[in-house]
Amino acid sequence: MEVTVALYETLKTHCPEGGRVRLKAGARVADLLARLGIAEDDVGVLVVNRKDARFDQLLGDGDIVTVIPPMGGG
Amino acid sequence: MPYGYNGKILHVDLTQGTWRIEEPDEKWYRTYMGGSNFISYYLLKELPAGIDPLSAENILVFACSVVTGAPLSGFNRYTVGAKSPLTGGFAETEAGGYWGPEFKFAGFDALIVHGCAAKPVYLWIKDGAVEIRDAAGLWGLDNWQTLERLEAELEDTRIRVVSIGPAGERLVRYACLQNDLEHYNGRTGMGAVMGSKNLKAVAVRGTQKLQMADPEKVKEIARWHNERIKTHPPNVGLTKFGTTGLVKGINDGGFLPTRNFKEGVFEGADKLAAPAYHETIFHSNSTCWACSVRCKRRVELEHEKYPLDKRFGGAEYESLAALGSMLAIDNLPAVAYGNQICNLQGLDVVSTGAVIAFAVECFENGLLTEKETGGRALRYGDADAMIWMIEQIASRSGLGDVLAEGVKRASEKIGRGSEKFAFHIKGQELAFHDGRGKTGMAMGFALSPTGADHIETPHDVAFQGEGVSKLYPMGLYDPVDPLKTDEAKMRFFFIGQKAWGINNVLNLCNFTSVPIHAMTFGRLVEAVGAVTGWDVSLHELVQATERSNVMARIFNNREGFTPKDDTLISRWFEEMPGGPLKGKRIDPDTFRDLVALYYDMSGWDKEGRPTRGKLVELGLYWLL
Repeated sequence: MEVTVALYETLKTHCPEGGRVRLKAGARVADLLARLGIAEDDVGVLVVNRKDARFDQLLGDGDIVTVIPPMGGG
Repeated sequence: MPYGYNGKILHVDLTQGTWRIEEPDEKWYRTYMGGSNFISYYLLKELPAGIDPLSAENILVFACSVVTGAPLSGFNRYTVGAKSPLTGGFAETEAGGYWGPEFKFAGFDALIVHGCAAKPVYLWIKDGAVEIRDAAGLWGLDNWQTLERLEAELEDTRIRVVSIGPAGERLVRYACLQNDLEHYNGRTGMGAVMGSKNLKAVAVRGTQKLQMADPEKVKEIARWHNERIKTHPPNVGLTKFGTTGLVKGINDGGFLPTRNFKEGVFEGADKLAAPAYHETIFHSNSTCWACSVRCKRRVELEHEKYPLDKRFGGAEYESLAALGSMLAIDNLPAVAYGNQICNLQGLDVVSTGAVIAFAVECFENGLLTEKETGGRALRYGDADAMIWMIEQIASRSGLGDVLAEGVKRASEKIGRGSEKFAFHIKGQELAFHDGRGKTGMAMGFALSPTGADHIETPHDVAFQGEGVSKLYPMGLYDPVDPLKTDEAKMRFFFIGQKAWGINNVLNLCNFTSVPIHAMTFGRLVEAVGAVTGWDVSLHELVQATERSNVMARIFNNREGFTPKDDTLISRWFEEMPGGPLKGKRIDPDTFRDLVALYYDMSGWDKEGRPTRGKLVELGLYWLL
């Protein structure tokens, strides 16, 4: 299956060409982040298909994964 | 019978040595709900215009909300407010910890302190009983000594104490309040107001249960929320690293305030941030009442010069920037030790760091010399000078006496053109987020009624791309570009301010709540309904939030603030000198135009005064 990734700010350097990543069926968000070389600690906002997501969430073909680093707070 | 709240507001008059209880009706509680609304309501009702914030005429308000003390993560904060000695305007400052819920369990929803005691006193509030007690033996003690002494005197180690340190007693204009040695009502100088009233501490003990309309439903929401906190990425990061995890991202992004806001990248940031923090000084996580996030840090270090004690509150993001990057100091034990002194002495570490950075830049440019400093050089990167300066400020000694007034007044006193290094908005020093890298947050700095405030709106960087889905329930559907200064960005701010304003009215923690963290808008509305028994809606929560902003604005207008005070620091109108944001600036004309647009969107006139229509819409007839 193939997912599209949208990476922001300093994570942009991890973005593959065209923003598309091929993954084995049954892959989870954590697998995708490992493939991209993004540590879970560097994730601030994680959204899949316009909904909040978890690291252990299963991905499906055509999913859009948005990752923004932690950059704000109180 | 009310659910979620006690229906009792405690008024204490320190001049007369008396107290009384006000019992507003349900409609009042539903209109104002708590937190910042209670502050602005009482400031407008009780204070004549133009009073001296450090006189007996000021009031000091401690406010919880109709849901404070419900057993949900983050439902534990309280707000302290008054007329600010730093800005001369509306002040509010929130803290977590344990004091807020304990105060509710003692039978009250808010405490209004009037007048001024003839000699030092503290308040002892236990299950509805109130005593004004002699604090002669506490005056001059730091926050830790005060807590120890009160536990011994009241023969109870389960009391919860909010207190001021020597900085508050000496009326340092940015003195803070603390509870349990690791939770701070940091900003706007409320410690100085408390000190001016000769009030050292408020000790509370409550054994009454919070009555909730649907306790089973609250339990179910708490289980869901706490499960989600374990796996929701921003909360996972906070549990692991607290806010120290922000240093790297903000520095890599190029907007970590460095050398008094001159630069956006600090070359020594990695030495201050996670994971270095955790490998060197970290002891354990700490938390607030009923909260499973556990973002607080305890630190410990055996060190000849910079010993760190796990009881005294570990440095967080703002402290690392305040005493680290702002002063170009990469010595983490020294920075954490400076933070510890601020905690014990009762200084707001944000303003303290900003004030010292101002002094250092003045010294580097010859506007301050060794004559004024008492023979000591003030240079970037000098950790010992930073610690010495904190002590000078807390004790109001030498130059510290001038700096204790805040950068605005200090620069007026120093003169010689030092105003150009004195960065503040409405008189309050800025927290450490460079607006050139997140212009929506810059709008919050300019438009917050408390003066420069970094928690006026959720930071715009988080709503890029589909990250914006977090604000769908508030009607924002278009992705946000953190670097743009345009109408769309103002619309983001307008909406974001209301989203976070809910947390300030209900005294909820942003790190557990909407829109970034584990709570959702839908479940939050359910939770408020389950606690209070009200058929509440998101519309109603947003309207309560708007009331708080409008009332604070009216208070500030009354005190003489005008649109020219809704501005930014000059440095953000200049190009960022280097780093990833090199060349970025905010155009002042565009910014001014967008502030006018904000007034327009808010139903305020061109002078920033809420219109008759807006007041009627919000049911604030008494302010017509």
